[in-house]
Amino acid sequence: MNHVTVPQDRIGVLIGAGGETMREVESRAEVRLDVDSESGSVAIESVGDPVAGLVAPDIVRAIGRGFTPETALSLLDDDLRTFELIDLSEHTRNDNDLQRKKGRVIGENGRTRELLEELTGANVVVYGSTVGAIGDPEEVEVVRRAVGMLVDGAPHGAVYSFLERKSNELGDDLSFSSP
Amino acid sequence: MSETEENKWGIAHVYASFNNTLITVTDETGAETIAKSSGGTVVKQNRDEASPYAAMQMAEVIAEEIKAAGLEGVHVRVRGPGGNLNKSSGPGAQATISALARAGIEIGRIEDVTPIPHDGTKAPKNKRV
Repeated sequence: MNHVTVPQDRIGVLIGAGGETMREVESRAEVRLDVDSESGSVAIESVGDPVAGLVAPDIVRAIGRGFTPETALSLLDDDLRTFELIDLSEHTRNDNDLQRKKGRVIGENGRTRELLEELTGANVVVYGSTVGAIGDPEEVEVVRRAVGMLVDGAPHGAVYSFLERKSNELGDDLSFSSP
Repeated sequence: MSETEENKWGIAHVYASFNNTLITVTDETGAETIAKSSGGTVVKQNRDEASPYAAMQMAEVIAEEIKAAGLEGVHVRVRGPGGNLNKSSGPGAQATISALARAGIEIGRIEDVTPIPHDGTKAPKNKRV
């Protein structure tokens, strides 16, 4: 039994039209979800295979942090797909600072966030005070370091060239490790 | 123990921090260690010890060993650093469990045994990202 809190405006997404999304999560992760739409608390209980049920809290958390249900459910596609959440409020002084640093991660018209996704291959979502990433462990690691650089005040250009370099390495790794 | 050979169970203690993953398989009482492994046994670089790949390789080795010891399945106790440190388990935990399952070890109950302070000492200051 596990509890995850989902923000009020993401509960609708978690449940889906007529409960469709919730049922899909339940059947694919072999869990039972008990959503309290008043408080936003979701109780997750594994009913089938405990190994599949292990990722269910992450799926619900990912949907709660702004990911689309399809992306969140991709966590089940492969054992190695990981979900990581970076809480910007831990690295900011006040609301203004949070706003500014979020802006740096998103970039003009969302350009930086898009580049993060394109060059690493992970899915990146900025929602509230968190930055979430779903992808393979190396991809997520690169996203985390890039976001760290941006939050620490590195110029965007430096982060782009870091991403460019890592994107080449990631490409090499993939061709190397595939049998 | 008077149990028959074919349904002997054990406990897999998985300690997954962000720097390493330790797997220890014991019998059901937890007193007798059957197999153990850590990140350093499969990777060269220290920073790879916590990686899910290392955890998978360790789990494969462990699976062989516990099959040889005649265990049919294991209950899993996952643990993160806990205490006044990080409460969530590292990247190796999930990889270990799914790799064990894929290697043909039956997984019983999965339990989180991360030590949670009932308000203990002050937590270390936040690290930079």
